[in-house]
Amino acid sequence: MKISLRHTMRFSLGSPAHAAEHLLLTPLSTPQQKVERWSIEMPGIAEAAAFRDAFGNRAHLVTQTRPEGELVVTISGAVETFDKAGVLGRLEYDPMPALFRRATAETKADPALIEGLSPVGGRIALLHELMDRVHQAIGAPAQMQVQGAEGQAQDSELEPQDFAHAFIGSARALRIPARYVTGYVIDEETASFHAWVEAWDEGLGWIGFDAALNLCPAETHVRLAAGLDATSTMPIRAVPVWGEMPAETVELLAE
Amino acid sequence: MPGPSPFDEMTNADGSVREPYLILEQWLKEQPPQALGLMAADAEGIFRRLGITFAVYGSNEGTEKLIPFDIIPRIISAIEWRRLSKGIEQRVRALNAFLHDIYHRQEILKAGRVPEKLILNNSAFCPEMMGLEPARGIYSHIIGVDIVRVGPDDFYVLEDNLRTPSGVSYMLEDREAMLQLAPDLFQRYKVAPVETYPENLRRTMESVAPAGAGSSPTLAVLTPGIYNSAYFEHSFLADQMGAELCEGQDLFVENGKVYARTTMGPRRIDVIYRRIDDDFLDPLTFRPDSMLGVPGLFDAYRAGNVTLVNAPGTGIADDKAVYTYVPEIIEFYLGEKALLKNVPTYNCTDAEQRAYVLEHIAELVVKEVHGSGGYGMLVGPASTAEMHDIFRAKILARPDNYIVQPTLALSTCPTFVDAGIAPRHVDLRPYVLVGDQIRITPGGLTRVALTEGSLVVNSSQGGGTKDTWVLEE
Repeated sequence: MKISLRHTMRFSLGSPAHAAEHLLLTPLSTPQQKVERWSIEMPGIAEAAAFRDAFGNRAHLVTQTRPEGELVVTISGAVETFDKAGVLGRLEYDPMPALFRRATAETKADPALIEGLSPVGGRIALLHELMDRVHQAIGAPAQMQVQGAEGQAQDSELEPQDFAHAFIGSARALRIPARYVTGYVIDEETASFHAWVEAWDEGLGWIGFDAALNLCPAETHVRLAAGLDATSTMPIRAVPVWGEMPAETVELLAE
Repeated sequence: MPGPSPFDEMTNADGSVREPYLILEQWLKEQPPQALGLMAADAEGIFRRLGITFAVYGSNEGTEKLIPFDIIPRIISAIEWRRLSKGIEQRVRALNAFLHDIYHRQEILKAGRVPEKLILNNSAFCPEMMGLEPARGIYSHIIGVDIVRVGPDDFYVLEDNLRTPSGVSYMLEDREAMLQLAPDLFQRYKVAPVETYPENLRRTMESVAPAGAGSSPTLAVLTPGIYNSAYFEHSFLADQMGAELCEGQDLFVENGKVYARTTMGPRRIDVIYRRIDDDFLDPLTFRPDSMLGVPGLFDAYRAGNVTLVNAPGTGIADDKAVYTYVPEIIEFYLGEKALLKNVPTYNCTDAEQRAYVLEHIAELVVKEVHGSGGYGMLVGPASTAEMHDIFRAKILARPDNYIVQPTLALSTCPTFVDAGIAPRHVDLRPYVLVGDQIRITPGGLTRVALTEGSLVVNSSQGGGTKDTWVLEE
């Protein structure tokens, strides 16, 4: 599927002497997606340091000296996605999978979710069972963070990250490497920022599991970055820290 | 104290004097009765003038104190030092190789030689360091290895400090004071110099500058500020090296590069000796509430635009639980047997070892895995039955939080105390610099427990220091 989208974020900055942002907003081409074009527009991006982070992502460090008022970040790009039944495989700059067994404050295991899970049917079956349990236990994603065309983020109690963290905590408790993945999900005419999980299998490599939607990501998912948890995979982390959530829109563009 | 009498570095059991101390013994005999007392008083004046103080946490008597200085030097022969420094160099090589492996392919974990969980779930392990290629492949450039001696040829490593070891300024000032107090003694002995340390530190830092830094890289010392207990040392070293002394707010990152604010305008910084803990280094990557760090510093480091000395995440190599694996680590990376011994260490998560520890706690030393500075530790033979019970309960509650070792009979050195010259227990922290070459300053900081019989040498617990002499051949 060819997906063309634009993601706009507006942040209120105040007037610091220096502002710095760490961006994880650049997708890699993988077996699941081919990045045809991609751009980030924001003050300072032309002079930004571009580098690979610890988790194999393309990262940027952007700074502004004496910025004023509002910071607008616009990401736009076109990606062709392929249905690989959720299998990402191995990427060139992936760190050791064992790293993703490290428990973090955000990825605590819930014993109820893993009780009785059996590896007898194989790891893949177990991970599907876990996805199903997380999906049921945490609730249907009716109120997920879907943005309307007007750009207001709707109030919601459940965020995709809650599903992802529950899945990751449980998988790691079972000694299965699992990582947090950010990206966009397309639902017919709308697109939204999203989060899901990749779990490790020695045979297949990394496999995606989207417990919020209870499916393995296929053509509807555009993958941005992976990390230990939501904090290590934040699309934008900034200093000074923003007081408020950004106003943001994600639009699907006609080809 | 139970057990046989400890090894004294000056006097043998039969009363004869060991060879390196013969001249000193003669010199001491020549001193008129009040001379040593007067020297000790002079020493205090010298240190007050030099301004060396340190802060004691949890103390009520003001925050700044002088570290007591003992006027009798500790003397190590050239042969003894050659053996020791070989062992130290071996350790430092292996631990840097271990850090590179842990933050790349993790072969030692795959080989099962060190448990994966111990490393990857450790709070001292820094996931953000994965895949980063530091200049020359070196992670820990400045290391202080804590060593104790229990016999003529019997040395043990107590701790490898690979994060931000402090105390080197005491080593330098102790030497300066000693040169002023007893210049005649330096005429009789050929003592290897320590004064080259700041110059060697500068060379080491320059040798690990990033590729684009040019032939004379700009160096900075990053300090948490004047309230830090080691601020004196930070400013002293910056001054000696001709480096910028900066607090976090004096540095900023622009376009991926690090600059210092100076009176002459922004100055590009290439290598930073940071004396701020990992967590506080950069609020953009680590603790977002850190006011001490520099936003964007870690990303600038990852982008290859600045070198951090030491690298973040080096603590995984001196973690007390990892310590027990150091002999294994040396074999794995160097294919050699460890030249310096580890202190045998009981693992309290093992039921059998824990049972032994609980039964014999009165003979043992208990340390917190993440503790330092002598805080939160128990020296069994020097503690009350009540303290033993408290630590038994602590170990039972969190067995993974403690390591336990036998009480070592630390060697003693003659020390000037109120009653005259008497043996007191000592340890040794040699300082190692790793860059284009490995430079070990001959000697190091000798810490001495001034209380009779005490084995706790930490300055925060009433320990003092001595000038440490390595004799040249």
